[in-house]
Amino acid sequence: MFLVALPGFHLIPRISSIVPESCLLIVVGLLIGGLMKLVGEDPPVLKSDIFFLYLLPPIILDAGYFLPIRPFTENLGTILMFAVVGTLWNSFFIGGLLYGVCQLEGVHLAQVDLLSCLLFGSIISAVDPVAVLAVFEEIHINELLHILVFGESLLNDAVTVVLYHLFEEYSSVGTITVSDVFLGIVCFLVVSLGGIVVGAIYGLLAAFTSRFTSHTRVIEPLFVFVYSYMAYLSAEVFHLSGIMAHDQLSVLVQFDSRLIACGAVTRPYVEANISHKSHTTIKYFLKMWSSVSDTLIFIFLGVSTVAGPHRWNWTFVIVTVILCLVARVLGVVGLTFVINKFRIVKLTTKDQFIVAYGGLRGAIAFSLAYLLKPEHFPMRNMFLTAIITVIFFTVFVQGMTIRPLVDLLAVKKKQETKRSINEEIHTQFLDHLLTGIEDICGHYGHHHWKDKLNRFNKKYVKKCLIAGERSKEPQLIAFYHKMEMKQAIELVESGGGAKLPSALPSTVSMQCVFSRISSASATLKITCSSPVWKVPYEMSHTFRNIQPKKPAQDRALPQLSKAREEEIRKILRTNLQRTRQRLRSYNRHTLVADPYEDGWNEILIKRKKMIELEKKMNNYLTVPAPAPDSPTVTRARLASDPQAWGSKSVAESIPTIKVDLASPQSAETFSVMDESCKKTTKEEDPGLTMKVPAPASKDGKEKPAAESEEDKEPGLKLLRCLSDPGPAGAEEEDEPFLP
Amino acid sequence: MFESCGCKTMGSTNSTLLKIPNAEELMQETGFSASHIVRLYDRFTSLDKEGRGYLCPQDFGAIKELAINPIRDRIIGAFFSPGKETADFQTFVRILAHFRPVDKDRTKEPEPINSRSNKLRYKDGNISREELLKVLRDMLGMQVTEEQLESIADRTIQEADLDRDGAISFEEFRKVSLEKVNIDHKMSIRFLR
Repeated sequence: MFLVALPGFHLIPRISSIVPESCLLIVVGLLIGGLMKLVGEDPPVLKSDIFFLYLLPPIILDAGYFLPIRPFTENLGTILMFAVVGTLWNSFFIGGLLYGVCQLEGVHLAQVDLLSCLLFGSIISAVDPVAVLAVFEEIHINELLHILVFGESLLNDAVTVVLYHLFEEYSSVGTITVSDVFLGIVCFLVVSLGGIVVGAIYGLLAAFTSRFTSHTRVIEPLFVFVYSYMAYLSAEVFHLSGIMAHDQLSVLVQFDSRLIACGAVTRPYVEANISHKSHTTIKYFLKMWSSVSDTLIFIFLGVSTVAGPHRWNWTFVIVTVILCLVARVLGVVGLTFVINKFRIVKLTTKDQFIVAYGGLRGAIAFSLAYLLKPEHFPMRNMFLTAIITVIFFTVFVQGMTIRPLVDLLAVKKKQETKRSINEEIHTQFLDHLLTGIEDICGHYGHHHWKDKLNRFNKKYVKKCLIAGERSKEPQLIAFYHKMEMKQAIELVESGGGAKLPSALPSTVSMQCVFSRISSASATLKITCSSPVWKVPYEMSHTFRNIQPKKPAQDRALPQLSKAREEEIRKILRTNLQRTRQRLRSYNRHTLVADPYEDGWNEILIKRKKMIELEKKMNNYLTVPAPAPDSPTVTRARLASDPQAWGSKSVAESIPTIKVDLASPQSAETFSVMDESCKKTTKEEDPGLTMKVPAPASKDGKEKPAAESEEDKEPGLKLLRCLSDPGPAGAEEEDEPFLP
Repeated sequence: MFESCGCKTMGSTNSTLLKIPNAEELMQETGFSASHIVRLYDRFTSLDKEGRGYLCPQDFGAIKELAINPIRDRIIGAFFSPGKETADFQTFVRILAHFRPVDKDRTKEPEPINSRSNKLRYKDGNISREELLKVLRDMLGMQVTEEQLESIADRTIQEADLDRDGAISFEEFRKVSLEKVNIDHKMSIRFLR
């Protein structure tokens, strides 16, 4: 049923702008639960083991894999403070005050003892990563805040669980001694740090394995998942000493830290090793699993609300809700005051507000409460009810209002612009500079250690874990290539015009600057180096068809209205899709055969064919032979849209595309079939291929091997781009191919 | 964070302070506190092994960790104004003052940026393509080819160069770097607060 609800939800954009997805899912769950009750069946409750063993791990793994490491480590101190101290504060504050309230005369709750209250406090004070992710993803706030709240939610599980154990264990015994507290702290450290270490080991193992998988590309993604799962499973082996009675919970904490560590550690190495198809597979699988888990969790929450045993007590519930809010605000403000003394980039009041407001509770709290044994805790049902209320409150009220609040307070949003090469260079330069200054001062600051770690990483670890030449590739170069290829792909996607003059000599990185484009309105500057991205013919064809519709085209002013560009891109995208459907049937083997691993000869042959084809195309199509003006103008026009090249500032809207192809092995042959284009020529190549001809470089072979890697990238990326319609693509149907 | 200079009591701080020429002036100018000045002085003297009262490039070169830094020459060069071969304590402190964390009430905001681009600049105040190439070469070393370096340099300049004069002026540099990288904040070393 949620399958129905989900697309339905997306079709009603108005709702989605007000109501975060999580809310709607809970509502759906409520409906389902209600229905089931009506029917007379017993709706399933979110059992804790299902939750912890099956539903939570994919989300955590996803979070760990895509964790932005740099901001995370830069803010680690702050995050830890919030996670550990903040959670402690919350638990004790809530627990203590609740106890006080319960002791009041008129409340009739005198049987709730201190330990139970504290336990309850500890359960409810945990900020929940699932809820936070669900809501924060939609509001796109800036990276710092996102990582703060999210990091906190990931790391505070350990604290919560230790507290939980502590209180639960000793509420049955009746007293807590100092040594128990001490043991609890030790446990916490062992469990979390141990978990991280083990997870990291598994991550490294996965990376190591991926080094050797060049022949088995299909199952590469599997390795990543297998190792993560193993990290996860082997937690069972780690039974801690008697203080951890509940294996499930200690396992939870270990899971979290393991999975996060495994994912975060694996990623940089694995990504360097595996093919791009595998990379895409991993990415989409992780996203898919975590989305499914996410959805299920919220729905189950809804169902459990209807199903679960309840005991409503007005005072308790309301006091709880209020106390949660108050505790959170006080905690955040107090902690920030202390933290800001140590931070260079201070947290402003706005930031604090968002951090406090973003402390959403979720299913983890519910499951922890569910684990309570009714024998020990007669108040369990009341706790459950209160927790559910708090969850609902935070998710619905806070979740819904956070977006308008973010807008109202003009909180800095996530930067939509891509990282430019300037930034990268500057960041690296700064790192070196600051390390140097620290050395001069004789001060072993954190730059120093970071630098040492990087050096160690480069020297030893990368050599082990990354296959072949990539291990020597400096980060800057890798980044640079990624950027270039991205832009090249965008260029190709947006199509337009025929090829560039390929008569340019074939040395690497020739530049042709079309300065005629730098006119009044759009200062676009496109640099293209030799060869030449052969534009998909249907795209150019389509574009030419669209052209006549536009009135008064001023060639020198390449400004398309946004709507127009959207339309064009839609058309182009659907065109690609159509032709893709005609792809000849593939089996597992052709899917895997990476064209780069084909012989050089094939590439040459294909290239020749393409050239011939092109000649014929040029004759057929009415557009004159490419003057330097037109292709670039058209390209400029189309290229001016992509979101990342937003309208923010002029400097940022300079797309520079440089295609750096040096080595013979570069050519990935694609040629787009345009069935409806009445071409007379036929390509024998299968379905969807687009060609990147390699320069006829005699000196190409002399280039070092590093460049062949670099060149494999463009084609692979192209392949990925073309084979990957993306989520939006699927929904855009109904566009006639050509008018 | 540990410091390689030891702690001193207030008494010895004062006495050391007296040894430092123009200590008061320095403190005013750079905003360093007395203990900082003393610490820096200790460091200065430990670097200045022959006790000459000034540093020359070889002294800097003797710092082990600095030796493996790719841009050490530039860093060392920043301490010596063009033409001079020696750096006295004032210069030392002044340069390091650039790296103090920026407070709101300090008027020295432009300084950090300045010193950063100082390390890249040509005398005429622009970062030219050759300069950029040199920096890139330093940073990336032998691992990349000339062409790659050139294309990176070209691309960098294209992105930042607004008036299209082929070099990055200070203004352009500020725009690109400040907006995105927030150099103010990044270029501070807590130790020097």
